[in-house]
Amino acid sequence: MLVLSRRVNESIVIGGNVTVTVLEVKGDQVRIGIDAPREISVHRQEVAAQIMRANREASGATGADLRLLPRRPPTR
Amino acid sequence: MQVHSTRFGDIEVDEDRLVRFDEGPLGFPAAVRFALIDVAENEDFYWLQSVDDPELAFLTTVPWPFFPDYAPELPDELRDRLEIIDPVDATVLCLLSVDRDAGEVRANLLGPVVINTRTRKAAQVVLYDQEWSLAAPLGGS
Repeated sequence: MLVLSRRVNESIVIGGNVTVTVLEVKGDQVRIGIDAPREISVHRQEVAAQIMRANREASGATGADLRLLPRRPPTR
Repeated sequence: MQVHSTRFGDIEVDEDRLVRFDEGPLGFPAAVRFALIDVAENEDFYWLQSVDDPELAFLTTVPWPFFPDYAPELPDELRDRLEIIDPVDATVLCLLSVDRDAGEVRANLLGPVVINTRTRKAAQVVLYDQEWSLAAPLGGS
């Protein structure tokens, strides 16, 4: 892992089109600003990991599972 | 176009049923082209079949019949990215996980797939700071 030290308001540039700026440091919390092209998604790792796990589980569904699908409940 | 699928065999899919992700669903970054396939006799469900990987498909649902209170707030950058001008162009699908032991199907409400039906651009969005479940049972029977 590349490790860099930065002060508040200093940035790093990744790949020429992503800029990450340290905005504020308060105790053990760091506020970070990210400028990236809109086609590059930015995620909080722990939430992204949950969604990845859910996606992997979801990709296991087969045609045989369709029997478990409920019918649309009556409209309330 | 012809789509190869381990679940459905070789199927013919109309161009207007193809969607494209800038980057694939989380964990599947290379899977960017998907075909929307109806689930026979159950209009609330669709398969998202990868065009690039015959083995990859997700069972999905339109959430509102099962979760009438679901109100995802789509981030502005998603609207930009999918070029959604009119909200009616946005279709929301939730990926489903099947727990065969429990006989239960659960929807991912936190990370829905949003499709611009006009441009057929798609993205999986993570609804940060919103309290939707990752695995909400569909209920019913």
